[in-house]
Amino acid sequence: MRKKFVSGVLGIVVALGLGAVIMLIEGFNPITTYSALFSYSLGGFYPLTTTLRNSVPLILTGLSASIAFASGPVNLGQPGQLLIGALFATVGGLYIHLPAPLMIPLLIILAMIGGALWSGIAALMRRFFSMDEFITTLMLNMIADFFTYWAISYPFFDKTAYSPMTPQIDKAGWLPEFGNFNTNILVMVLVFVAVWFIFTRFTAGYEWRLTGQNSIFARLGGCKIDKNYVTVMLLTGALAGLAGGLVVMAGPHRFLKGLGANYAWDGVMIAMVANNDLIGTLLYGLFFSSLQTGAVGMELITAVPSEFIQVLQSVIVLVIVAGRGMLDIVLDKTQIKRKARERTA
Amino acid sequence: METIIEMKDMIKVFPPNVVALDSVSTDFRKGEIHAIVGENGAGKSTLMKVLYGLEPKNGGEILFHGQSVNFKDAGEAIAAGIGMVHQEILLIQEYTIWENIILGIEPVGFLGRINRVQARKNVQAKIDEFKFNLNLDDKIEDISVAARQKVEILKLLYRNVEVLILDEPTAVLTPQEIPQLFSELQRLRDNGKTILFISHHLDEVLALSDRITVMRKGKKIATVEARDTNKEDLAKMMVGRDVLFLSKREAKQPGAVVFAIKALTYIDGNKRKRLDDVNLQVKAGEIVGIAGVEGNGQFELVNSIMGLTRPTSGQILVNGKELIAADILERRKFVSFVSQDRSKMGAAVKASITENVMMTHHRLNKQFTHWNGALLDYRYSRQFTRKIEEQFGVSMGSMDNPFKSLSGGNQQKVILGRELLLDTPFLLLDQPTRGLDVGSIEYVHEIILKMRMQDRAILLISADLEELFRISDHIVVLNRGKIVADLATEKTNLEQVGYLMLEGKDKEDAKEIR
Repeated sequence: MRKKFVSGVLGIVVALGLGAVIMLIEGFNPITTYSALFSYSLGGFYPLTTTLRNSVPLILTGLSASIAFASGPVNLGQPGQLLIGALFATVGGLYIHLPAPLMIPLLIILAMIGGALWSGIAALMRRFFSMDEFITTLMLNMIADFFTYWAISYPFFDKTAYSPMTPQIDKAGWLPEFGNFNTNILVMVLVFVAVWFIFTRFTAGYEWRLTGQNSIFARLGGCKIDKNYVTVMLLTGALAGLAGGLVVMAGPHRFLKGLGANYAWDGVMIAMVANNDLIGTLLYGLFFSSLQTGAVGMELITAVPSEFIQVLQSVIVLVIVAGRGMLDIVLDKTQIKRKARERTA
Repeated sequence: METIIEMKDMIKVFPPNVVALDSVSTDFRKGEIHAIVGENGAGKSTLMKVLYGLEPKNGGEILFHGQSVNFKDAGEAIAAGIGMVHQEILLIQEYTIWENIILGIEPVGFLGRINRVQARKNVQAKIDEFKFNLNLDDKIEDISVAARQKVEILKLLYRNVEVLILDEPTAVLTPQEIPQLFSELQRLRDNGKTILFISHHLDEVLALSDRITVMRKGKKIATVEARDTNKEDLAKMMVGRDVLFLSKREAKQPGAVVFAIKALTYIDGNKRKRLDDVNLQVKAGEIVGIAGVEGNGQFELVNSIMGLTRPTSGQILVNGKELIAADILERRKFVSFVSQDRSKMGAAVKASITENVMMTHHRLNKQFTHWNGALLDYRYSRQFTRKIEEQFGVSMGSMDNPFKSLSGGNQQKVILGRELLLDTPFLLLDQPTRGLDVGSIEYVHEIILKMRMQDRAILLISADLEELFRISDHIVVLNRGKIVADLATEKTNLEQVGYLMLEGKDKEDAKEIR
């Protein structure tokens, strides 16, 4: 655990250093840039709450990917599951009218059902036609993309709008906001804690993890790996769907074109950086959100374009993922040297 | 005789903590057959791989013809004149012998076209020079394993190596083929080649070699002249103490039949009969050993019992309960299983020791869970791991460390502990001592014998005949998926079982037929 933390922090420092070098080459001042970046994402109530709010879809899709990858299924369908989840929550919010204490949980559940339905299709195709979820989830992303685009352009189109979007959902379905603090973060934290408990303390999570590490061992040990596979697919789909639902309920309160943005792919990236560790996913999710949130401010104050953040993110991913292997190699090497010296002495 | 290779203070460490070579110094002379013997994991293969450039060394020096060398890969070693034949044969099946031999150093003509006439002439010249009985136009897939091995050797001779390293060359050969290989190796030696020969069959080594280097646990114990030593001395050096080839079983009357297989047949996807009408029973307090050359149905038998493959027909019964259609969890209530491959089937090596111990217990043992099986009790699991640690003498650091941090012997103790504490009436042990050192093997045998005294029914599959003779009450011989003999251990001998394993019938039978 400590090794992971050290390698993570080291990786980020090295990556920020490399980012600084790139800025210097481009002729920007790295110190003013970084201070602008972090003051607009962490310096004060407004920036901080914005960072938190933006982190929710990143963390939930990251959680979805982490759990899937750590348990075996290569669910890469988070983008599609997020969109379908968002659509389910939107449609529910358009046609169902209940008081807020009922409405909000209902829309949350609808979003999760939407996501689970989408990943469930992939799970069924694997079960009955032995189709690899690695392919089917990716293909279903395309279908979800165009299906939701059609849905917001025709059946649920807001007649008063000039571009594809739905009308706003019932106000009872809006997540409450206190100042700039959006309660989507509370929903995320609740779900995170629940999922963390299931994954690390429950029999089910134990079986998922051990199946992810060695499925033949788990099978011989009496784990029902086929059933577990379906459960993990449904759960991870539901998490990605929830991410979509919360985007609608916290933000524009409607489904508009480009709603999914890059959240889900960033989530997959976060899972990889965190090496499928749940706490790591949470921390990296917050960190990446702070970069993305601060990018706007950075662009405002300095001449560095906000696209630079994508470069920085990629550098961080490469440095941390490469560094993780590197650290092991270095540790091995020092161990070999020490042992070898003991022998010759 | 002139020294051709000298290895000084060789060190090789496999992280995290395996010292495979511990300051090994030895020398090899020109024109000798030099055997390197030792148990599994003694470091004999590692020593050769370091010499050959397949593994980088972590310390020490290699002198070849008095020059310090450090080969980066096999290509450099071959170019310098050292070649190695591996246990598994690495030839292209669809190519002919001569094509395989010239591969990589083809004589080429205009525009890189292979000069076939020249190539065949060169290869034929080598075959004649060393009197190998090979037809250069045969395809590899059509010739025997022994012939393929010859092709591998010829391939190196064609590249003019002076030193040939052979890694357990007899392991893939039938008994009849071994003398021929030996006479060919002796001829090569007489032609001035140096042959380094890895083995753990002491009889072979004594028959063939001029000098013998004995290794144990990464250290060189001694290099001796073959004519000055004998099997007992070598065994003692290999193991580090006197080796007892005695059964330690106590007399015991077996109880009722616990485990039974009836008419079990399995036909695989290619319509090949892997198990052919297998009938078998194991009584309480009895150890039944299955002998057989690997690949004669052991794998399919184990998978059928465990529920990984569905046999075509037959019955599997434990205490009279039919398990043929039961799911794996149901079977595990009756069957404890130690697999032959710890890292593939027996454990999740990256998960913690505790998590490995919990497997199966988490479903069958109520004390491991709360809330009707939903929530795991990690505290109880840790206590349980502690119990295994004490009861089975496992030496472990923290039980939260990954399973792979344990040594092979300790891994096997943890697995045995987990399986035996399931308290099932029947134990299926598939090569439970594979890859373990002698101390651990003895310990595992003691545990198995103790389970026998506790009236468990035990089915032991082993490739090690001495092991079978040491602890089993009955020896069943499996040949081509069929049980060809069921013998009481006291009424048979190694020779008879060995013959049955290879031929599938008794020697006397064979004479009658002729």
